[in-house]
Amino acid sequence: MFLTREDEELLNGEHGEGAKIAMSVLVKLGEMYDADRMLNVENVHIDGSAYGWINDSGLELVEKFCSLGVRFRVPATLNPSSIDFDMWKELQMSSRVAEKQLRLANALKRMGATPTWTCAPYQYGADVRFGQNVAWGESNAVGFANTVVGARTERLGDLADVCSAIVGKYPYFGLYRDENRRGEMLFELRKQDLETFGPTDYGILGFFIGSVAEAKIPVVSGIPKNVTTDQLKSYCAAVAVGGSVGLSHLCGVTPEAETVAHACHGSIPEEKITIGTNQLEQTRQKLSTLKGDCPEVICLGCPHYSVQELTRLAQLLKGKKVKKDVRLVVLTSRAAKTLAVEMGAVKTIESSGGKVIADTCWNFVPFEGRTLMTDSVKMAWVSMSKFTEVGIGNMDRCVEAAVGIMR
Amino acid sequence: MRRIPLSNIVIKCVPVSQGISRGEALVTRQPICLYDSLDPKSGRIVNRRHDLYGKNVSGKILFFPRGIGSSTSAATILEAARCNKAPNAIVNLETEPIIAVGAILAEKLYRRNIPIVHRPETNPADLIKTHDLTEVNADLGLIELLKRSKARASHGMR
Repeated sequence: MFLTREDEELLNGEHGEGAKIAMSVLVKLGEMYDADRMLNVENVHIDGSAYGWINDSGLELVEKFCSLGVRFRVPATLNPSSIDFDMWKELQMSSRVAEKQLRLANALKRMGATPTWTCAPYQYGADVRFGQNVAWGESNAVGFANTVVGARTERLGDLADVCSAIVGKYPYFGLYRDENRRGEMLFELRKQDLETFGPTDYGILGFFIGSVAEAKIPVVSGIPKNVTTDQLKSYCAAVAVGGSVGLSHLCGVTPEAETVAHACHGSIPEEKITIGTNQLEQTRQKLSTLKGDCPEVICLGCPHYSVQELTRLAQLLKGKKVKKDVRLVVLTSRAAKTLAVEMGAVKTIESSGGKVIADTCWNFVPFEGRTLMTDSVKMAWVSMSKFTEVGIGNMDRCVEAAVGIMR
Repeated sequence: MRRIPLSNIVIKCVPVSQGISRGEALVTRQPICLYDSLDPKSGRIVNRRHDLYGKNVSGKILFFPRGIGSSTSAATILEAARCNKAPNAIVNLETEPIIAVGAILAEKLYRRNIPIVHRPETNPADLIKTHDLTEVNADLGLIELLKRSKARASHGMR
């Protein structure tokens, strides 16, 4: 691999022991994947932000970097933490985990991270634009950066993101390279089907496409221009768990995919699949194991709810009460919660009996029930080991189940 | 090293993370997200929807086609290495960088070598079955079936 003088200096320890370790990890990774050089990245989103994800080994590494006096060379945002920093005691989160999470948070902040604590950094906290090389972890955020913004990032593994923030570099391979961004598999949709789609439907669409495309790059035609950021967030989260998709070309939405030909770099897609409502209905059924309409837990905000989603939820809940035997939990970022508090939405949700939790992920919320309804396809798929039954319903449907309106 | 009688099954592949390791094979054709499927503290597969559910990867030669989902899988491998519950080697059709990062860090932090190979010339899952004694030589880019498991031999399974 070609290394610049600066790369060599970082690798030789001339910029400190921490940078030396970080650079050696990234150069080794680059060698494994035949990268011909290192790339400068303009910012990093660190997925290794929750003690519950990176465990003692990750905490040990981050604290080691911190004790070596490391400062991040580029702006770095943080994925969720293992706790809500304000409410962890009230939520009965483990004090052992909280203690380690606070240590991790201190180390990351001392190194210069922006404490966004969100899996949707593209909505609050991260600056990212078309054509920029960035280094992001968290599969939905990677998908959003590549697909919606048209920035370029590989799918970073935990702790490689920390290394990348330390040196401001990542090996030049995978999705950073033009030739690896060519669309390979075409999915055609009928526009009229999509006009009534909400975020949850986009999640189901994403899951279906991910499970068919696997590691290929899908091209999707038929997405309307007025698709919302929250709908795209839901799509990106689901397509990444259905397969290992870090970039989708949504024609007319993705900046580098005005047309199918543009997305496929002038070539013809290798495969073409027409998606109808029946395939999506089958996907929904495959993902839903909930019997009946009465889940014990209703969880929203995977990925983190935006201010718009929080205010809409507040409108739906206004004047209604969540049933006594149901727990309604909403996950969001501290930034969105702060704004929604000011707008009165959090008060409305909480006076109905819902709980708005910030900074963290449902993964770390101690749920009492064993049956779940969620509007998130990602959560429905990933949480099956936590719940015995899982159902998918859009926000309206989840609210109806929470307040006990039967269909 | 004393050689166990050869079975003559040797598959060429591309090294990702170097080293030589042997052990009992644990084989799946289903992609896996190690983050939500592997408990790094015990080495057990805890995802009920995965066909390796209940199996332990610790000390095994772990064959799976590719990783899916979460970026956290890198940290999961590292933690398994810290807890001495990591597989002895990993064989994929295509290894994600997320998996490779876990192996790099395991070596750097805990001196735990996890050889990884990918892009085999034929799918090892067609030739190597769970419990077969297998060696991965990631220095040369070879997977070798050393000995078929007894259960398999007595049932005439291939």
